[in-house]
Formats: sequence, C-alpha cells, structure tokens
Amino acid sequence: MANMNGWAGKILRVDLTNGRVRTEDTARYVPKYIGGKGIATRIAWEELKPGVKAYDPENPLMFMTGPFAGTLAPTSGRGIVCAVSPRAYPLEWFTYSGTGGLWAPELKYAGFDGVVIKGNSEKPVYLWIHDGKAEIRDAEKLWGLGAFSTQTRIKAEQGDQTQVLCIGPAGENRVVYATIQHRLSNASGNAGFGAVMGAKKLKAIAIRGTGGVKVADPDEFISACTEVADLIKAGPTWAVIGTPPGPDTVSCTHACPVQCCTMMRKDDPTKLEVGSGTRNMMKHCVDPMYSWGWERTEYPTKYIKEQYTGDIFTRPTKAFGEEIGSELQVIGEGLGMSGWNYVNNYCWISACVDNGITELNGHKLEPDNPEFWRDLLYKIAYRKGIGDILADSLVRACERLDLPDILKKHAHWQEPMWGFASHRLGRAAESQPSPIWIYTMCHWITDSRDPLQSHHQSSWAEYWFPPHHGAGSPDTEFSKVKATFARAFGTGEVIEPGFGHIKEKTRAAAYLGNRANLKDSLLVCDWCFPRLLSGFMSKEELKAARDYYGDLDAETKMFVPLTGLNMSTADLVKAGERVRNLDRALHVRNYNRNREMDSTAEWIFEYPEKSDGSKLDSAMFNKIVDNFYEARGWDKKTGWPTRAKLEALDLGDVADELASIGRLA
Amino acid sequence: MSEQKKVTRREFVRDFAVITGGAAVGAGLSKEALAEVQVVKEIAKCGMVVHDPDLCRGCKICEVACSAYHDGACSSYLSRIHVAANDLDLVFSGLVCSQCDSPSCYFACPKKDQALCIDKETGARYINQDECGGCGKCAAACPLPEAPIWFKTVKGKEVAFKCDLCRGRAAGPICVELCPRKALRFEERRG
Ligand code: SF4
Ligand code: SF4
Repeated sequence: MANMNGWAGKILRVDLTNGRVRTEDTARYVPKYIGGKGIATRIAWEELKPGVKAYDPENPLMFMTGPFAGTLAPTSGRGIVCAVSPRAYPLEWFTYSGTGGLWAPELKYAGFDGVVIKGNSEKPVYLWIHDGKAEIRDAEKLWGLGAFSTQTRIKAEQGDQTQVLCIGPAGENRVVYATIQHRLSNASGNAGFGAVMGAKKLKAIAIRGTGGVKVADPDEFISACTEVADLIKAGPTWAVIGTPPGPDTVSCTHACPVQCCTMMRKDDPTKLEVGSGTRNMMKHCVDPMYSWGWERTEYPTKYIKEQYTGDIFTRPTKAFGEEIGSELQVIGEGLGMSGWNYVNNYCWISACVDNGITELNGHKLEPDNPEFWRDLLYKIAYRKGIGDILADSLVRACERLDLPDILKKHAHWQEPMWGFASHRLGRAAESQPSPIWIYTMCHWITDSRDPLQSHHQSSWAEYWFPPHHGAGSPDTEFSKVKATFARAFGTGEVIEPGFGHIKEKTRAAAYLGNRANLKDSLLVCDWCFPRLLSGFMSKEELKAARDYYGDLDAETKMFVPLTGLNMSTADLVKAGERVRNLDRALHVRNYNRNREMDSTAEWIFEYPEKSDGSKLDSAMFNKIVDNFYEARGWDKKTGWPTRAKLEALDLGDVADELASIGRLA
Repeated sequence: MSEQKKVTRREFVRDFAVITGGAAVGAGLSKEALAEVQVVKEIAKCGMVVHDPDLCRGCKICEVACSAYHDGACSSYLSRIHVAANDLDLVFSGLVCSQCDSPSCYFACPKKDQALCIDKETGARYINQDECGGCGKCAAACPLPEAPIWFKTVKGKEVAFKCDLCRGRAAGPICVELCPRKALRFEERRG
C-alpha cells in the first residue's frame, strides 16, 4: 500500500475493450483535487474528448472515493460516480451521481481511491477487485438477473464481506434513468449510469479489501470525529425537532451516526420500534416515493390557468401506502431503476389522462392503479411497448410521440433542465420559498444536473420556512436565523425572503457551490454537511441558544489529523472552488456551455413558487445571473471562466487550453 | 453456521471446575488438570462487550473506531469487533471476544502470559503482539462457533489480534462509547 494518510494511494484503470488493467498514483491528483468528484473531473478534463456520448467506449465511467471514505469521519461511506450521462438533455454530458453504502470503504481497504473504467466489453463481465488486484471475470450467468440476486450470487462466490455494485435489467437495456444498485437500497440514481454500465456490458463490480486507511494523528482524529458526530447528532437539520422519528432504517452509509429520521431520537434509540418499515425506506433520500406520494402540496391551479387548459399540476402523486409502495419500490430497485421515475411519470401520465389521452400506443393509462405500475416498471426495464419510449425520459419520449403541445410542455415541467427531474425548483415538485429557490436556481442554471447533490446544503436554510417538507419549528426565532447567517456570510440579509441583497445572496450561492464540490470530493453526506447549523436535542437547548450556528470548520477538523496536511478551511473551500471551475471549463470546452445555454432555464422561474408565489421577470433573472457570474469570477457576457479566476485557482493550464479554442474571457 | 466444536476433555474439566468452584478437586483429576484448576481460580473474571443485533444497524463505527484506536488505521478488517451487516436480509451480527471466565485461548497459548496475557487491572485477555508468534493455537482453542481472533502481518511477522477491551484507555471500550445506536454495552462480570 502506498504510504499516504487518508488516501489509499492508487487509482485503478480498467479498459474493458482490451481487458487491460493498470494502476496510477493518486498523488498525481491530491491534495489539489482532494478526491471524489475533484479527481474525476480532472481526469475528464485530461481525457474526455468533446463529442463522446454516454454509450461510447471512450466514456470513462469513474467510481471515486475520497480521503474520508472508510474512516471514522461521520458518513464516510459516500462515494461518487462520474461519467457522460445518457439522461442529460439535450446533450449527453459529463455529470455526477453519489451513493452511500459500504463499497467506497471497501475499495479503500482494497487499496484504491477510485476506479476508472473505459472501453466496452463484448461479453457480459464483472470486475473483481481485491487487495490491490483486479480481474475482469465472465458474467454470462449473471446477465439478466435482478440487482438483489446479482449481489447474492457474487457474495456466494466471493464471500459474504464482498461489497457489490451492480445493474439490473434496466441498466442492461439502457433505460436512461437506470441505477447502479448497492446493498438493499443504496444507488447511484438519476444520472442513469446504470445504462452506461449496461453499454459497457459490465454487470457488476465486486470489491473485497483487507487493508486500512492510515491516519496521521489517530488521537486527534478520533476526538475530531467524535466532536463532529455530536454536532450532527440531531439529524440533517436541527429544525425538525418535534417531528416523530420515521421508520427505523438501515445505516445508509458507512460510519453514519445519524440515520436521518431514526436517529433524531438519539437520546434513546432503544425506544424505536426496530424493524418497522425497513424495506420501503432505506433513507429519506433513497426514497419511499410510491409509499408516500410526492409531494404533499399541490401546485395551485391559479398559477397556471392562463397558460394551460385542463387539469395540470393539481394533484400530488398518489401515495399507495406502505405495503404496495414498498412492493413497487422493491420491484424498481430489483430492476435497477430510480424511484424518481415515478414522480416524473406519474405526473405526466396523469396529465395525459386529464387531457383526454387515455392510452399511449395502445397501452391503457391508469396512473392511480398500482397494477398499472407493476406492469409499467417491467415494460420500461425491458423496453417493451410503451416502456421502450418512456425508458428514454419524458422529454425524449415526447419527441417520439404524437401528442398535443400541452403535454410536451408538461414534460418540460417534469424535466425542466438538462433532462433531470424538477427537483428543488419550488414549481413542479416540492415547494422552495424565496430566497431558497434563488440559491437552487443559481445551481440549476449553471450546473450539469439538478441540485440533488448539493441542495441539501440549502436545507441549512430551507427548513426555516414551513411548510417545506412539512417541517419547520415554531420555536425558531428569525432574529437568531439571521444572526446565524450573519456569522457565516457577514450579513443576515442573505436569508431574507425576496429579491433584496442579490449581490450577497449570489455570493452565498457561490460559496454554497464551492462547499458542495468540496463535500463531493471528500466525501461526506449532503444532508449533514457542511454544518452551518448546529444540532439541538431539545426545545430547551434550542431556546437557550444565542444563534443556531454549527461549525463550518467541521470537515477541516477531521481532514487535518487524518491526512497530516496542514490545510485550513479556506484552503479546502478553495479546492472546492477549483473543482467547480474545472467542471465549468470542461462544459465550456466540451459542450460549448455559455450564458445563452444557462438562460434556457429562465422560463420556469417566471412561474410563481408554489408556496409563496414569488417569481421573477426577465430583468431580475438577468440581474441574478450577472451577480452570480460576478461572484463566480466568470465573464458576464459569455458565462466563460476568466483567466484571472482560473489562475487564482492554480488552473493556468486550463485557462491556456480554453484560450486556444477561443473560449476564455 | 460452522460446526459446533467438540469439547475436549481438558476443556470440559476446566469449565466444570469453574462452574463448581473447585468442588471437583479430588475427583480423580490428573496433576496437570489440577494445576489448571488452580490457575483458573486465580484469573480475574472480566467484563465483555456485548452486541445487540436488534439495535445494531450496521454503521460499522465500532469497527473503524476500534482500528483507529489500536492500529492508527481505519479498517473493518483490522478491527477487533466485526459486524456482518447483511442489509439484504436485515441481519446484523456482531462478533467480539467474550473474555471467557476460563479462557481457552490463554491456556492454549504456548507463550502464556507473554503472548496471550491477562490484564492485571481489567482482567482483559489480550495479545501482546511483540511476543505472539501467530501459531493460531488460541483461535483453534476458542469454544465459540467462530473465533473472534484474527491474524495480520506486522513487520513481516504473523500475529493474532483480538479484543483487549481497549487496555489503557481511561474511558473504557471505545466501540461502546461511539456506537450511535447503543447496540454495544460493556457487561461487568467480576466476582
Ligand atoms: S472493547 Fe476495544 S478492543 Fe474490544 S472490540 Fe471494542 S474497541 Fe475493539
Ligand atoms: S457501532 Fe453499533 S450500530 Fe454501528 S455497527 Fe457497531 S454495533 Fe452496530
């Protein structure tokens, strides 16, 4: 094992076309790019040529861990998958999708910080990684199996402690939202990387390692981790005090001391009804969509009346209840498909029915009937009949179907930007009162996918505003909220609703993005980090607090004794900013990303947010974009990074390359 | 489930002797066995870490805490407690040394009191890595269906390792302290 603290020291390189396996030193990329998304983005910058599509052999499918993976750092089981996504729309482009579980730690114990897989195999194979070695093995017998049986079979062959990532039939058949499944409910979901594995004929990755992650200063590291675990003990956000614990769940990620809903009763976990509801809810975010329905507030008809006729967006998705919901969830997971397809497909199919379209290509539409879903899930996964069309996502399905415009428009509501689900918009899916949606808008318009990976950080803010997620605590005082944000951002105005202080708000949004990229490089859970807010275990504690500030140095406190590197929070956040800018540069170079493309998202924000009715006009949209680019150090006219910014981030080589193709400001 | 180990005559005598508090003395025991009974009486009883599979949710914090504390490296493999987190079946089983009243591992060790030792303060049955030759007799003698004793290479030498109740740690077992589910407890068994 290489002599590094924190990192395993090697990256595994696999080419499935010629069967070659080699390794390279992680030291080539760290600490500059930290790990995870940072390393993957650098590899993409160096090796991913413009024009490479999701199913091309040149598409590098990367499974990355970070320095924290496999350690005592709370939630250190996170890993991230990066590649060109078949789901991204209108262009298949490079994006990312995280997972929890135990595979990332196991990969570290096997001696690798990441695996980069290129090439497409002719025959089904799986990758067997064990203690510094890797073999490409025959998977003819596994091809066609569901995600659960694939794992069971591999474990029977390679031992129970083996960690398996795999695809189900949906991935094999290239459903664009096919997941990569791991354990019961862990998945790399929405980016459709399961389909990329399918194209590579890579059924699974099995990992077993018996090494360890070396710690530079164990005593200091243990006490830092304990301190941070204590900080996050009250769960993802503190404001949910008073909500009853959810169903008991499995730890969705290695070293997670929180376990979301469950562990909010950390004072006495023994009081929980152990074993209830475990099958339908691994975690809040690996979601019980079918059981709960989604979302609880409807999009008021009054907002869209002028634009649409017919009954659109007036119903929340049907909640089928725990029993049927669990069953559908498990069917989907076995087939290897994201539960979010329900949120999108349900709303859109309901809109079809509401607008008088009761069948599609001869397939009867009955969105409120569970039987319809049982059948449809299989049809999608195996691309049979209407399933073949829906397997390509709604916006693409609409290009193939002869439908009234209203339904095409509706599909764009469901997948408003870049082909991803309408997550954190405050319009189609969940509510997101201002100024929270201004933050997520900055992400939506400039990033490569929905703010799924990063939005939970905005929960450092959004839980202040009932009725979001039905949470919000009556015991919180807005003056203390502002005091908290003032401590973090210099002014509490950043959390004031409305469009005042756009400069400060966009700056905070950029900072948020940097933290998100740092988090995805270290990696830790995006429900719990960064910790702007503290955890409170009782209302008394909450009332007594001067403000609600947590600890934005939490990651640093663990990083330093783990790696032995003397980096400050500012250094780490700068690394996050570096990763964000490198990703932007990659998109500028490979996909001609620019202000014009970013602005294609404008229309949706001109509709009112569903709970407070706030919306913007073109002038405000452009004001926000101007300010956000400025906060980012990007050119206002083009949206390209500037040389000054890239050089300040030690990305001079990136600036040179952009300049050589005439896309540097 | 591995096959139940056969209890050897020696083990039977030893356990019997412990249970009956020495009443078996004189029941036709060999000199050697008698000597052993004496030894068992002198070994301090010792508490143990107990894992509750119903409360455990497989986060493996215990494992990485144990290995960070003992080895300066986080690893499930190096940990002295192992939790098999089979979440497909929702089974979480913990494996950690029971610190038996009559420690078969201790008796089996050819370098008793140098390699496999009894901690004077806590009574923990622990392995001194400097002296351990990695012969594996301790693990073979363990009466549990699966021995919570593992092997690793340290400085080119094979050594055994097992739970030592975090010897020397003032706050006691770190796994018990850090388990977020309170699925681990330290059970006193002195007397
Ligand atoms: S008591 Fe200490 S040595 Fe024993 S398993 Fe727990 S952490 Fe490891
Ligand atoms: S720390 Fe506790 S809950 Fe986590 S695996 Fe160990 S015993 Fe189970």
